[in-house]
Amino acid sequence: MITIIFSLFYDFYLKEKQITQRLIQRNIQSAALNLNSFLRKNFDPEHIGTIVSQLDSRIISNKALASIEIIDEKNNIVYNSLHYVKSHSNTAKLCIPITNIMRSELNKTVCYEFNIKYYKGLHSRIYRVILGIDLDYVHTMQTKEATQILSIALLFTLSFFVIVYYLFNHYIIQPLESLRTYAYYSEYSPQEFLIKEFESIRYSLEMTFKRLKTEQENLYNLSTKDPLTQLYNRNDLRSQIKRIIASTKRSKKKFAIVFLDLDNFKNINDSIGHHFGDIVLKKVANSLRSAIRENDVPARIGGDEFLIVLPDVDNEHSVTEVLKRIKQHISTPIQIKNERYKITVSMGVALYPKDGKDFNTLLKNADIAMYNAKALGKNNYQFFTDALNKSVQEKIKMQSLLSSALENNYFELFYQPKVDISTNKIIACEALIRLVHPQEGIIPPDRFIPVAEENGMIIAIGEWIIQEACAQITQWQDTPLKGIKLSINVSGRQLEEKNFLEILKQHLHCIESSKLDIELTESVLIKDFDAKIELLNKMKKLGITLSLDDFGTGYSSLSYLRDIPFDTLKIDKSFIDKMQENKAFINMIIGIADDLNLEVVAEGVETQQQLTYLEEMQCEMYQGYLCSKPLPAHQFEERFKECNHIS
Amino acid sequence: MKNFLLLLLVPFFLLSCSSKHQSEEIVISTNQWIGYTPLYYAYEKGYLQDLNIKIINSVSLAEAADIYRVGQANMVTTTQHEYNALREDTHDIVPVILLDRSNGGDMVLSNRTIEELKKSKKIYAYLEVDSINQEILKDFITNNNMDIDKLVIINKDQEQIQEVNFKKLINKDLLIVTYTPYDVALVAQGFQEIASTKNIDSIIVIDALCSTTELRKNEEKRLLRLKKALDRSIDDIKQNPRKAYKIVAKYLSNIPYDEFSSSLQSIKWINKPSDELLEFIDKYHYTKETILK
Repeated sequence: MITIIFSLFYDFYLKEKQITQRLIQRNIQSAALNLNSFLRKNFDPEHIGTIVSQLDSRIISNKALASIEIIDEKNNIVYNSLHYVKSHSNTAKLCIPITNIMRSELNKTVCYEFNIKYYKGLHSRIYRVILGIDLDYVHTMQTKEATQILSIALLFTLSFFVIVYYLFNHYIIQPLESLRTYAYYSEYSPQEFLIKEFESIRYSLEMTFKRLKTEQENLYNLSTKDPLTQLYNRNDLRSQIKRIIASTKRSKKKFAIVFLDLDNFKNINDSIGHHFGDIVLKKVANSLRSAIRENDVPARIGGDEFLIVLPDVDNEHSVTEVLKRIKQHISTPIQIKNERYKITVSMGVALYPKDGKDFNTLLKNADIAMYNAKALGKNNYQFFTDALNKSVQEKIKMQSLLSSALENNYFELFYQPKVDISTNKIIACEALIRLVHPQEGIIPPDRFIPVAEENGMIIAIGEWIIQEACAQITQWQDTPLKGIKLSINVSGRQLEEKNFLEILKQHLHCIESSKLDIELTESVLIKDFDAKIELLNKMKKLGITLSLDDFGTGYSSLSYLRDIPFDTLKIDKSFIDKMQENKAFINMIIGIADDLNLEVVAEGVETQQQLTYLEEMQCEMYQGYLCSKPLPAHQFEERFKECNHIS
Repeated sequence: MKNFLLLLLVPFFLLSCSSKHQSEEIVISTNQWIGYTPLYYAYEKGYLQDLNIKIINSVSLAEAADIYRVGQANMVTTTQHEYNALREDTHDIVPVILLDRSNGGDMVLSNRTIEELKKSKKIYAYLEVDSINQEILKDFITNNNMDIDKLVIINKDQEQIQEVNFKKLINKDLLIVTYTPYDVALVAQGFQEIASTKNIDSIIVIDALCSTTELRKNEEKRLLRLKKALDRSIDDIKQNPRKAYKIVAKYLSNIPYDEFSSSLQSIKWINKPSDELLEFIDKYHYTKETILK
């Protein structure tokens, strides 16, 4: 590059040198021309003195000329300027005709010459005019010019490289650095570049980063947001709650999580369709957004399950305010195609740190509280409490026990006598299930039956009871207890089992079916009443008897007594406990039973006074601690013999 | 990137691109003479546009020759006088294009008749000695058997002659050698033509365009184009002198058209010379080998 630049400048220098030389040559030409013109008009060799001063002035005024010499045909000097130092003879030999000045090398030419004619009359004499050249001046001019051009060349080279460096830096280095930074950090897109290729890269990077950012956002949303409602999902909520826990721990404040479950959402989906279900979920999500505070975090964690984190709560009251708003917003009816649907929600609240110090615990406890709200009739909210926790723990514990009780034979039937009031002999008994745990001891049915009914184990337990009762009847076949009637309790869920009748038949085939009595409560009959009547009639046809348990506490609908072929009415213990207050009712029940030709059993008889009164009212049987509490089979057998005077 | 590289290379292109090579400039040194109007005409009409020709116009033939002599011009218009003078001085001049021959354009004026002059003892002769005037005068003296020693030679160029106050010299025998158009003013002062190239057979005044030997040798094509341009101009001038006058008048000190027209009558165009003419002028050292026909 430098070579090229200096080559160019050398070429330029040569041209400039030539131009300078030509300028000096032109100057000498002009001087010669003027001198020629002057001499033609004024030269007179006999009176040369008259023009000497004018000739001298031409030397002084023209720096390129060192001397002027006029020589006659005999080489005599007619005129010699003051500055001329060399002898004319030597000089004359070296002189070049002025005509050839443009073809001569100025810096090597000492002098130029031309001829003039001097006329005397018509006769002419020729004189040579020699112009001596000031070679020092010529060299100085050329050196000066060379120095100037060299300086310009250096300056230009320096400027060129500065400009090239600037351009290179501005248009290549800086854009590359900008692109590198942009490629590394993927933010702060550089401004548009002048160079097309860089601009293309920049634009491509920008487009790629935009696409990546969009994809990242989409992926982030996919990983953190519920696609239907755009609320946070469970995973993100977990991390958010962890962060809130850390923050709350530092600030020593509280926060609450609210577990929401839409009431009867399954019915909505089943009856109107999933599409409507999705609309409902979106509406609920919007309602939540509008009801909660700015920094509250709403999330959808399951089908119709939502969770809201309420940071920085001072007390339950501040939570309640939010819950009320949520309830109000959600309960606004949804209108679809001229139909209005009202959505309700059950909510459970757990507070940090009281109800849990980690996500799972808080979620579990809020869930428990929500289920409590459901259990309490839905469309309300409940805070998690220790009692609730205890209850749930009990339930969990019981579920655990139940799951292993059948396999480990922890269940046992206890038998409570039914006594004929007129003879005071035991004529029947009610089999009551007990869970006899090796560590816990005897666990009463009211602790585990609800749990069994909830988790469905009641089906297996119920079948076990039938099997065990039938086995017991068989076992008593050849004993004094062979005539005794044995009652068992059947739950509503058992009756709803399609194969219940088959199971019953299966176990009855080895006993006299009339010795088995099945006790049913009114609540069992409420659901699918007609189907139940049909089933009960089929059961009756198997030869078993039916008892209506806890009569007087429920609906006590007379239609049951009319439509269902019961054999026995059992007066609930609550009537017997407050017999003085309930005499009229007891009388009425006994009267109805008598009219309907049903047997009557009074439950929960614990005192002789109660028994006396029942006898007065002509109640036929009683059952209660007055005779015996429920007893294991062998004790019951002992008690039977004792009461019935069998040795 | 390409643009950037181009941007970087632009200065190199600008620096390295030398100007378009042009042929050497032809500088023609000439003077105001009716015979040279084809040069002015061709120049004004643009016939010389592509030939890279520059014209330097001087007052006299001598000055025009001086310009050539010092190397400021490589072509010059001359009569045979200047041609030969330059040939002796520079040894580097050849005739290239013949333009015209004087046909009354050069003349001798006097305030006396030839007879009176013959009787005169002292004649004051005004002329530009170092010019064709000298040849005209010598021819005049010889033809009229006059004694040259009677002449008092006063060497002045034509411009200087115009400035002489001849009224003060009216009693003296005066003789002026001049040429058109300078004769007009002198005739107006009372001088009369006593001889001219129109009626002198012993001498032919040739006006020619001469060049350096090198130019003639190296630029023949350009010189031929110049010749064609001049031929075309001469044709134009012949066909429409009034139109030509309008174009070239400024080069002739804006002389009236009548003068221009009469001046044209005082020359003959010899741009297409006959062999006889070429043979004749060989004695003036006009080598026919270099003359373009």
